[in-house]
Amino acid sequence: MKYPTDEVLETALEAGHILLESGAEIFRVMETMRRISRYYGVDEDHKEFYILTNAIFASGESSHGHFAKVQPCRVRDARLSRVVAINQLSREIEQGKHTLPQVRAELARIRNMPDPPRALQIFASGAGSAAFCCMFGGGVSECIAAFLAGLALYVFVLYVSAPHMSKISGNLIGGALVTLLCVLFRSAGLGQDLNTMIIGAIIPLIPGVSFTNGIRDIADGDYISGVVRLLDTLLVFLCIAVGVGGVFTVYRHISGGMLI
Amino acid sequence: MTLFVHFLAAATGTVAFALIFDVPPKYYPLCALIGGAGFWLAEWLMTLGLSQTESTFLATIFLTLSSRICAVWRKCPVTVFLISGIIPMVPGARVYWTAYYLVIGQPGRALSEGFTALRVAVAIVLAIALTLEIPNKFFHRKKHDTP
Repeated sequence: MKYPTDEVLETALEAGHILLESGAEIFRVMETMRRISRYYGVDEDHKEFYILTNAIFASGESSHGHFAKVQPCRVRDARLSRVVAINQLSREIEQGKHTLPQVRAELARIRNMPDPPRALQIFASGAGSAAFCCMFGGGVSECIAAFLAGLALYVFVLYVSAPHMSKISGNLIGGALVTLLCVLFRSAGLGQDLNTMIIGAIIPLIPGVSFTNGIRDIADGDYISGVVRLLDTLLVFLCIAVGVGGVFTVYRHISGGMLI
Repeated sequence: MTLFVHFLAAATGTVAFALIFDVPPKYYPLCALIGGAGFWLAEWLMTLGLSQTESTFLATIFLTLSSRICAVWRKCPVTVFLISGIIPMVPGARVYWTAYYLVIGQPGRALSEGFTALRVAVAIVLAIALTLEIPNKFFHRKKHDTP
């Protein structure tokens, strides 16, 4: 099928944009964009893509002139259902099931796919915290405390840190919040072992997506993007540790050197 | 018994994270199985006397392999299973202990915990990177499928 070059590249760029934003690896973004352009008649010699963690550069040429666009992407939380949907779409394109306008409509639908309800995400954070608390040796009361701290943490993440804060302060305060809550729970008599409670409840802050994708990007040879993502992971870990350590330090002073 | 409880906990934790990462619900059972089995394997290997680094390395190879197999089987990106399943492997507890010992004034133990965290992280990186190197054709019948 043959379409105007700029329309094809525009569509490929939109697919790449959604993928990159939703937590796909560089390799997958590149592969999907290539597939779409190849199928709709823009071959390898007439276009170039360059993809980084936070931007896509696309250019192409046709008999009518040149196409060039830089698309900055803000990498947000993982939205893997979108990655799955575009993967499926790209498979169907190769089977010849879609015209270009249909692809555009489908991409618009995928972009507007709803996130999981916030209440469910908050509950998942609590359940995850309790589960990890158990894995690291916490008893029933520790797990309940970790569950509550995990709930509170994600309320903070969804309503305060994600919309209003930088990554650094968000994770720092998140780590501090969890520690503070766990200390309070223990003083109130809920849970004995502070360590397992805190370890369980900070787990929702762990940047699993940047970590895994960073490794994947480096394994694929996309070093710049991979290093940026691993650096991001390291930074988040440091911020969590500083948040936890900060509250401990203050607590030690208040309690006169006593801890745990 | 403890191992079984931990398997269930790891499976629950993995699904909780799958939900936060917005994995489509139809993949939850496989995510739970992969995440639970990976953590169980790592713990079991440690009871055999392997260090945390070694057992994490082997368990992550298992995790990545099974993620790739499931990705081909269910025709979906490998990311779906890998990202959720890797969470129980991440040395979050070690990072916590590093901060803890730093604050209570035991820099020696803090350093040792920090180094272990780093070693485990490197083990995960190597295990994933090496397992991803295995050519697609070992997993795929058809060409052109992106795992």
